[in-house]
Amino acid sequence: MLQYLSAAFAMGLAAFGAAISIGYLVGKTMEAMARQPEAAGQLRTTMLIAIAFVEALALYTLVVSLLLVLTK
Amino acid sequence: MASPSNGGPHIDPMHHFELHPIMELHLFGIDFSITQAVVWIWIAAALLITVLTLVAKTLKHYPSGMQNFIEMIVEFLRNQLVNDVMGEKEGRTWFPFIATLFLFILTSSLLGLVPGSFTPTANINVTVALALVVFLAVQGVGVRKHGLVGYLKGFVPHGIPLWVLPLLLPIEFISQLAKPLSLAIRLFANMLVGHVVILVFLSMIILFKSFAVAVFPIAGVVVMSAFEIFVASIQAFIFAILTANYISDAIHQAH
Repeated sequence: MLQYLSAAFAMGLAAFGAAISIGYLVGKTMEAMARQPEAAGQLRTTMLIAIAFVEALALYTLVVSLLLVLTK
Repeated sequence: MASPSNGGPHIDPMHHFELHPIMELHLFGIDFSITQAVVWIWIAAALLITVLTLVAKTLKHYPSGMQNFIEMIVEFLRNQLVNDVMGEKEGRTWFPFIATLFLFILTSSLLGLVPGSFTPTANINVTVALALVVFLAVQGVGVRKHGLVGYLKGFVPHGIPLWVLPLLLPIEFISQLAKPLSLAIRLFANMLVGHVVILVFLSMIILFKSFAVAVFPIAGVVVMSAFEIFVASIQAFIFAILTANYISDAIHQAH
């Protein structure tokens, strides 16, 4: 019972942190693209790499949550 | 994933992703059994080899059709993935490795969207195997370029007092191990989650016990499959470009 509660809570917290980080990243990238549209390709590539890093952190928590839910 | 304590149907999407041997094969005490992941890796590799060799055998000076498409991908790989990260000189050496990584991961992940198939990259064994190859490549190129002592000396900045070494070296060793491991877990978790969400949507039809409500889960599955194509491409790109970054870091050691 406590397993399910902690798994859900952990995943919620991780998703919250990842959502704020990714939103901030994309906002800054949009600002930079608006200032200099010629650099849009390079900016988009860097943004995607940074999003993958942030998402990986949330996915580590997902792996832990799945382990909590699926094993006794 | 509904708990059986409430008396409802026991939905368990995760059993689709378990590996079962199709053909047992034990050599020298190691288990080389053929599982679904092995079969689908073979299919992805055969598909890639067939398409690319067929295009390469009949190269035309003015490309058209399939050759145009493959040239577009190869040029994107060469410019964005290798040359921008590593520079032209090392880029020529490492382009085949990084392009193979990208194309193989992309093909394996996209093949999993075919109904009834198995996604090899949704299994932790496959992604850890790929990450091990990357780890050996990165350490190998660092040792070959700088020598073993020079490469180890490159882990710490110059001119630091000796007592700081026992603090810095373990951190550096752990980060050298953690970077390929994070590549493996990122790819595995992204692929697994995408397919589990599709299966959970489909299981809602069973949970509601009626076909009339089936139109909403099916619409959700269509949207999630389209998103999964996008995520598979992005994850293959991220794996390849991070590999290029790690190799470039090992070659041009910053400290």
